[in-house]
Amino acid sequence: MGAVSQRLFGVEWQGPVLLASGTCGYGEEYSDLIPLDDLGGLVTKAVSVEPREGNPPHRISETPGGMLNSIGLENVGLEAFVREKLPWLEENLDRARVLVNVVGNSVDEYAAVVAGLDDEDGFLGYEINVSCPNVEGGTMFGTDREALGRLVERLRGETDRPIVVKLTPNVPDIGAYARVCEEAGADGLSTINTFPGMLIDVDKRRPVIGNVNGGVSGPAILPMGVYLTWQAATATDLPIIGIGGIRSAEDALQYVLAGASLVQIGTALFVDPESAVGVTEGIEKYIEERDVGDLSELVGTVDVERPARVGLGYE
Amino acid sequence: MTATTATGGGSAEPIPLRENRATPRRHWAPVVRNREVAEATWWLEVDAPEIAAASRPGQFLMIGFGVENTGAPFIPRPFSVGWRSPEGVIGLLVRAFGAGTRRLGALDPGDDVLLLGPLGSAFRPEPGRPSLCVAGGVGLAPFLFLAPEFRDRGHEVRLLYGERTGARVFDPDLIRELTRGDVEIWTEDGEAGSRGLVVEGIDLSDDPILMGCGPTPMLQALARTAFEEEIPLQVSVEEHMGCGIGTCQGCVVPAAGGGWMKACTRGPVFEARELQWEL
Repeated sequence: MGAVSQRLFGVEWQGPVLLASGTCGYGEEYSDLIPLDDLGGLVTKAVSVEPREGNPPHRISETPGGMLNSIGLENVGLEAFVREKLPWLEENLDRARVLVNVVGNSVDEYAAVVAGLDDEDGFLGYEINVSCPNVEGGTMFGTDREALGRLVERLRGETDRPIVVKLTPNVPDIGAYARVCEEAGADGLSTINTFPGMLIDVDKRRPVIGNVNGGVSGPAILPMGVYLTWQAATATDLPIIGIGGIRSAEDALQYVLAGASLVQIGTALFVDPESAVGVTEGIEKYIEERDVGDLSELVGTVDVERPARVGLGYE
Repeated sequence: MTATTATGGGSAEPIPLRENRATPRRHWAPVVRNREVAEATWWLEVDAPEIAAASRPGQFLMIGFGVENTGAPFIPRPFSVGWRSPEGVIGLLVRAFGAGTRRLGALDPGDDVLLLGPLGSAFRPEPGRPSLCVAGGVGLAPFLFLAPEFRDRGHEVRLLYGERTGARVFDPDLIRELTRGDVEIWTEDGEAGSRGLVVEGIDLSDDPILMGCGPTPMLQALARTAFEEEIPLQVSVEEHMGCGIGTCQGCVVPAAGGGWMKACTRGPVFEARELQWEL
């Protein structure tokens, strides 16, 4: 057992770095470029009951230190996912863990995806997406505590597999939503999804993004993600997967110290597919150099003591 | 026709533009040379023998600066492989549209860029018929690579190249050197070559197939011609791109018969009949 391995959600994780939903397809696309099975795992593109076409172009645009996207949850749908995508994951990933990202327009639709997948092989559990900013109703469950509680309770009744809820940053108190998930029986949280944003083409006087608005990701949102992860971590005892702007081991370690046990890398994969490998190596080096026993000893250990007044040289 | 769409009557069956694709490679590559060849336009040469050897005309690569960089371009940008030397130098045609492309134009020999490629589909010749290549602006790039490659394989190539202004025209002598053939130039201001739109130069008398890369209005004009005259047309499309390998689903274009196709993996080169057109 290496210094970066942990036991979470009932299984061994060989490393803390996962590829984020929507940035790694269904795994296969990156298999020629990076050693996927050496990573902690990956989260699939969202799966809905029926296939979705997604939004009109432009779907993405660069913004300072990040990007704006509005894909619109384009996906092959439950049936094709089971038939065409899961077999590849089952055959090719032994050590890396797979979470299937699940979306729906109603509690019944989410439940249908979970029920339709639960007896299949090739994945560990679910990441419940209640936080997509790019489809109508995409954050409906993520911004209504009562609806969120009902959804998680229902899904808890459908499966014994791990349920991780991916939260939206667009709430006044993410800790309250974290507690709702915990009380409803979730096993973990992913914090955070993208922030809503908009860019305007000043020549055309039209939005750059075909769907008008999109979600902002990338290094630009790192401090917001770290803060919201810290807030969620201090509100619950659930294991947390930190997401938002991670492109280096130092970025990932900020999430770990804020309270995340695992992290996800998304936008940085586009910049350099090998970034996910580099982050894992950098965390190993940090642990080794600082003589920390293992990664789990670092989780949530940020010291936020705020003395009223300090003298020169205070550390 | 306005506000109507057309598919040219064809089906959207996959066709052999996508055969024999190499596994993409990701690696850092040094800039060998970077020359300003026209107004706000550079011919950027990078040393990338593995990607060069695996590339086919019409394919592209992503060029970026790695995760330590947060300035533009933060997300790597797609560029058609514009040419390759026997030694493995790749030429890229860069035009300044914003901060990201200006930075590429300012690269010096020895600077490193992060490449991912070759990616996407390729142009495909039709045996016995000339390839009439119609380029608009930096849409010239794939044809600088295509022309000598096709000619070496015994296919006839004719190249038409249009720009808005003469100041933007890529040095014709360099085009002839790179393509080992002639080029017919059209400019809207008449300051170089013939005055007018490049599509006015289309001559179908020797029964060519059409290939196009350039601004959408130019591609639309080509599609109208191709559908009316029932001539095969392959076009290279452009769309904002994220990953370049099909995962992010950011770079979609409209498919004939509905839905979207990814420009990065299904394209960038499509048969015109695979696409949905506003004609």
